[in-house]
Order: sequence, then C-alpha cells, then structure tokens
Amino acid sequence: MDYLVATLLPQLLHGLVFGAALGLLALGLTVIFGLLGVMNFAHGELYMLGAYAGIALISVTHSFWIALVLAPLAVGVVGAITEVATLRPIYRREPLYGLILTFGLALVFREGARQIWGGDMRRIATPVRGSTPLLGMTYPNYRLFLLAISTVLLLAIWLFFTKTRAGVVVRAAVQDAQMLDALGVNVPRVFTLTFAGSAALAALAGLLLAPIFTVYPQMGVEMILLAFIVVILGGMGSMGGSVVAAFAIGIAQSLLTLWLNPQRVAIAIFAIMIFVLIVRPRGFFGREGVLE
Amino acid sequence: MSGEVVLEVDFVSRSFGALTALSKVDFTVRGGQVFSVIGPNGAGKSTLFNVISGLHAPTSGRVRFRGGDLTGLTPEAISRLGIAKTFQITNVFPKISAFENVRVAAQSRARVSGRLSSLWRSPDVEREVMELLSAFGLESRRDELAENLSHGEQRYLEICLALATDPTLLLLDEPTAGMTPGETKAATTLIRRIAGDRGLTLLLIEHDMSVVMGISDRIAVLHFGEKIAEGAPDEIRNDPAVIEAYLGGAED
Amino acid sequence: MSSAPRTLPWGAPAAFAALALLPLAPFMSKYYLLLAFDALVFGAIAMSLDLLMGYTGLVSFGHAAFYGLGAYAAAVLLERGVLSLWACLGFALVVVGVYAFVVAYFATTRRGIYFALLTLIFAEVVYTFFRYTQTFGGSDGIQGLPEAMLLPGVPIDTPIKKYYLVLAYLIFGYVVCRLVVASHFGRVLVAIRENEDRARFLGYNVPRYKMGACMISALLTGLGGALYAIRASYATPDLMLWTESGEFIISVMIGGLGTLAGPIVGGVFFTLLRDKVSSYVDWYFIVIGLVLVAIVLFMPRGLVGLRSAFRLRT
Repeated sequence: MDYLVATLLPQLLHGLVFGAALGLLALGLTVIFGLLGVMNFAHGELYMLGAYAGIALISVTHSFWIALVLAPLAVGVVGAITEVATLRPIYRREPLYGLILTFGLALVFREGARQIWGGDMRRIATPVRGSTPLLGMTYPNYRLFLLAISTVLLLAIWLFFTKTRAGVVVRAAVQDAQMLDALGVNVPRVFTLTFAGSAALAALAGLLLAPIFTVYPQMGVEMILLAFIVVILGGMGSMGGSVVAAFAIGIAQSLLTLWLNPQRVAIAIFAIMIFVLIVRPRGFFGREGVLE
Repeated sequence: MSGEVVLEVDFVSRSFGALTALSKVDFTVRGGQVFSVIGPNGAGKSTLFNVISGLHAPTSGRVRFRGGDLTGLTPEAISRLGIAKTFQITNVFPKISAFENVRVAAQSRARVSGRLSSLWRSPDVEREVMELLSAFGLESRRDELAENLSHGEQRYLEICLALATDPTLLLLDEPTAGMTPGETKAATTLIRRIAGDRGLTLLLIEHDMSVVMGISDRIAVLHFGEKIAEGAPDEIRNDPAVIEAYLGGAED
Repeated sequence: MSSAPRTLPWGAPAAFAALALLPLAPFMSKYYLLLAFDALVFGAIAMSLDLLMGYTGLVSFGHAAFYGLGAYAAAVLLERGVLSLWACLGFALVVVGVYAFVVAYFATTRRGIYFALLTLIFAEVVYTFFRYTQTFGGSDGIQGLPEAMLLPGVPIDTPIKKYYLVLAYLIFGYVVCRLVVASHFGRVLVAIRENEDRARFLGYNVPRYKMGACMISALLTGLGGALYAIRASYATPDLMLWTESGEFIISVMIGGLGTLAGPIVGGVFFTLLRDKVSSYVDWYFIVIGLVLVAIVLFMPRGLVGLRSAFRLRT
C-alpha cells in the first residue's frame, strides 16, 4: 500500500501531466494534418523553441510568468511566418513534398537552436517551489500547478472545439477539408492561424515542462516520436482519439520508467504500439471506411 | 445474361454515428438494364454507391452480386468480381498520359498481374486500350497528361478506366457532372451505345432529368436515405411523391 | 515525375564505362578511390530509394535502418571468421529482408502518411537498440573486421578491388530498378503514387504492391550497407541515424524524383559535397535542412529534372 502511494501514485500523476503535453502536440499534429494536409515534422522543434524562447525571455524579464505568456506568442509568430513562407506554396503539390519540407525545417530549427544557445543542457528554475502533502505522499507544488493548468488548458481547448463557431468549423474541416471552401471561409487565413495556434500550444507545453526536464536542442525529437505514436494509435482523423492515446502513452511512459532504463522504455512503448496495431490495425478510433 | 438478376440491394441501411444516410433501401437490377438512382441533394445516392463498391459496409441489410454476398469485401475484391465504378469528382491518374491511365486499368486483368513475373514483364494491352480510347474519341489525346485534358475528356477517361477492367456491372456516379448540355447529350448517347455493345448492366446516379428519362429502363428515387418510388420512367415522371420530394423544399 | 523511364540510350552504358575507367585516372589516390566508393554506394541507395519515393510516392524516413542492418549483418559474419563475400551479402539480404517485411507489413496497410511515420519510428527503435544496448557493441559497434573473400584465397583487400565491387553492385542495382520500373509491377507503383484509392478500385491489392516496392528498395540498400562494412571494416550505430536517412532523401531530391539516374548523380554529388563541407560540422546540418526546404520550394525536380521542368507542369 505504501508502495502504491509513495511511488506509483506520483508517477501516475507525472504521467497525466506528460500525457497532457503529448496531447497538445498530438492534437496540433492532427489538426494541421487534417486541415492543411501536411504532417508537420517540425512540431517537436516548436515545442523545443518554446522552452528556449522561455529561457531567453526569463533572462530579460526575470519572470517565468511573463515568459509563459510571451514565449508561445513568439513561437506562434514564428509558426505563422513559416506557414506563409514555406508551406503555403506547396499545398497543391503531392503530400510527399510537405513531409520533406517539414523534415528540413525541423533540421533548421534544431540546429539553429544549437547554434544560438549551444548544445549544453539548460535548466529553468522551478517557478513554484515547495511541496504539499497529498494523499499520504508529498507532491511538488509545481507539478500540482501543472496538473491544474493542464486541466484548464484541455478544458479550454475542448470548449473551443465544441462551443465556438471557429472551433466547430475547424473540427469539421479536419474530417473533410473541402468543406471549408463551401462555407466561404478565408482559407489561407484559417490555415495560417491554425498553424500558428498549434505552434503556440506546442511552445506552451515546452515551456511548462521545461523546469521538470532539461532543455537541450534534441528535446523535441523524443516528443515528436511519441506524438507520432500517439497519432498512429489514435487514428489520424480523430482529435478525441489523439488525446486519449496521448494520456495512455504518457501514463505508460511514466510508469515504465519506474522499472526500465530510458532506452528500454522507448522500446517498450514501441512494443505497445506494435501490439495495438496488430489487434486493432486502425488504431483506437480509426475513421470508418476501408481507406483510412 | 440479359434479364437475370445481377444486383440485389436488400434493405440496406447505412449510418454514420447519429446520421442515417441510407434507410432500408431495396431494389433489384437485372442484366442489360440501365437502372438509374435519382433524388435531391443529400438523398444518399453516393453513399449507396460507396456501400455497393465496398468503401463502407452496410450497417444492416446486404448487397448481393450475381448471387454472392458483397458484405465485408474490400474494394479491390469487389472490383475483381466484376463491378466497376466511376467517381463523381474526376479521379484519374493525373501525371501520366491518357494511354497510360487506361493501360494500368486494363493490365489489372492480365494473367501476369499479381504474380512474381510481373516484376519484369509487361502484358501487351495496346489494342484494348486504343479501342476504348477511340470509342470515346480520345485516341488523338493518348499521350497527353491526364491532368491536361479538358473536363469533358477527363470524365470520358473516368469511364474508360472503369470499362478497361471488363466489368459486368458499371456504377456511374454522375457521369455528366460539369458537362455542357451538348456534351451531356453526346455522352449519354455514347454511354448507352457502349453499354449495349458490351452487354453491360448500368447503375447510374444522375441529377440531370433529361439524361435519366432518356436512357433509363428503370428508376429508383431516394429521398433522405429512403426509397420513395421505383418504376419505369413514365411512372416516375408522374409519381406525386417524387414531384413532392423535388419541389417540396429540397433543391435539385 | 514522368512515368516513362528517362532513358538516354547512350547514357547509362557510357557512364558505367567511364566509371569503370576511373581508377586509371592519375589523381585517383587511395583516398579518392574510397571516396568514390562511398559516392557510388550512396548513389545506388538513393536510386533504390527513388523506387519508393519517386515511383511509388512513399517517403521512407527510416532507410538508414536497412543500410545499417546490412552493415551489421556482414560485420557479424566477418567477425566470426565467415569471410565469404557471398555469405555476407546473402546474410545481409536475409536480415534486412526480415526487418523490411515486418516494417512494410505495418506501414503499408494504411495510407501513405503512415508509411513515413512508421519507417521513422521503426528506424529509431533499431538505432536505440544498437546504440544503447551492448548486444552488438553499443556505441562502438563492431570494429576491426577482417577482409572479405571474393573466392577462397582471393581477398578484397585493395581500394581498387573494393571500388570495382561497388561498381558491380551499382550496375546490378540499376539493371534491377530499370526492369522493375518498365514492368507491369512498376506501372502499378506509379498508379499508386498518382491515386492510391483509384488503384484499389481498379482491383489492385495496393498494400501488397507497396510492400513489394519497399522490400526491393530495402534489399538493395541493405546490400549497400554490407558493402560499406566490407570497405570500412567496421559497422557502427551511426550508420542508422535518422540524419543518414535524411541524407539519402536529400540525394534523391537533388538528383530528381522518379528518374533513377538522377538520384545516382544526386548521391554522388552529395557525398562529394559532404566530404568538402562536413569539416564545418556546426553548420552542416542547418545547411542540409535549408537545402531540403529550398529544393522543395524552388527546384522540386532536382538537377536532372531541371531540363524538363518546363515541359511538365507541377
């Protein structure tokens, strides 16, 4: 019972937080793919840039909280510029070009960050110190904060996609991109805003998690690989599926690190993916129809 | 072959979550017939085709082709059984020539297809391909990239692709969509003639009433996913339920 | 991307003849011979990747895994004293074949995008396994391999012999790819690239064709990996890095998708470029990324395709 509380429970909570971050990334990937038709290989780098933008802003403003607001905005702008300059010209081309282009962008962002900030691991000081007794264990306050803010974020996103007109339109368009034309929407602007929004969310996740994990140029790579596994399992057209799968993978990852070293955890997650693909080839919530 | 039952749609229903696209649709198509399915927008016509061609499985009911149950078969399996489909939105192979388009369709029925030797051999289907292209007046455009053909030519290419697989039943999804009235008339005559020459059975979705009335042997009318009428063109033309459906709010 | 093979009737045999005569040139030191070896291997692998990318429309982000596994397969045999070249090549085919079959099985049943993601994920796992476990030497890999034997008592020991070995491999690969591309199978691949759904509705078992293309490409790449291990006398996990996969892709793009000959040129060009540039390691990867972006935006048909860029519209 002690083990359950002292070890398992905190790890479970870590998993929820990690899963929420993964969910933000996977959701961004799913929306961008559904709407723009591009699989954004650079999404992990947007997450990473959020952390580095945070570091830069903290050194200037000496406030984590100000950075938390400004960094996602900055990365959102970067995202918008990227979309207009590099993605817009290739929407009408074969999808293969989008893959290669975003792959190239990922390289540029990753190595660019290394050039600017160096390849060393950085740390961001935890903005919320101390810990609280909780259900028989002590849990760091910052992580409690993360739990709270993840819930708020996911709730806000859910509300956006179900209750606002913009959100409903985007959600429907993820299923069927052609309907945007029929609605008379300014499609290029929607695309840019969507990409920028996804970038900002990824950056937010990056900065929020930065005090817990170290910050280094490669940090986006691990996240994007997990995010890919999440969208494969969740089904490409399903936003709800992405979120569910993200939590599943996040919790699995967290619990597995109790018993396995990091590389074996990666292999174990991979084995889980293979298992699910064998049992349910279309993933948890694959879209109906043979051609998914 | 003529006269016997080719396709049976047995009380087929298809829902997408809460949305019911088809509800207990039931009709039979006989060999050699030209059978049309019409109805206002959103009546479920394309969904019906998607179910028959294997894209979706019916939520309930079944589709039988020449006595065999099609439920659960993949699109490629259904194609090999002898059902060919054209698409409402032109769906050809854009960056290869018209000839190459039809060739790859024709080669799907060659003996070497699917075998190891297909890795180095290429069956000669030149004659069949040129025959088809000529039948639709496309022989002079054979080396043109499909994406460079005019809209009407692409619609014809669609049909060539379907015919090249030597089907028994041809599903035509709005074959004259986007054509001018002149092109539509020509296309209609052409389709009817080719179908007659090859002894094909045609199942047709159409919006254009003149086309439908001109070439159909039998017509079924769908409205909100249900079949509301079936019969010969004259019966349908005068059926009050059909007139109501088209005039009573739902646009054509 | 034309479906007709761009044959220059005099081109290929002449080019191969020139390559065969290359070692006789006065400036060909040992260093340059080995560089030429690397260039030709890269070119051959890029060509086999073109079969997947240019002809079938599938992007493989994990081709380095096929390459690296081929190298390790040969290394494992050589390490144990099995020196026959043919045994090494054969074993590489088996190992890479099994791996490629598994990857392709999962990666080809759904639409094209899953192929890209799954090849990447599989390759990452393979890399992690080789790099971070000690089963095959960890980060050092397998070093100090003995020379392979063409026939018993005939070692492949000089750079010239290695060069002709790889030239033979390139010619072999080229012939195979040309045959496949001109065959019925090859035409179906193009149809799948152009419109996967339509190909299914014509009755083609699309996943099976994709698997076939993947296997052929993977096997050819694995042979290249085995040859590399023979040339370098080692096999390391770095061969399987995703950046290596990126370099294969860039070679194909430079040369021109869907041309077979173009990627060979692209691979050679890229290897020579890398040799000159990679001393500036810092900027190297940024340059690669920028080149990829630039090619997609401005020069999608690559070097070879530039000529016909005006005939075929994008």
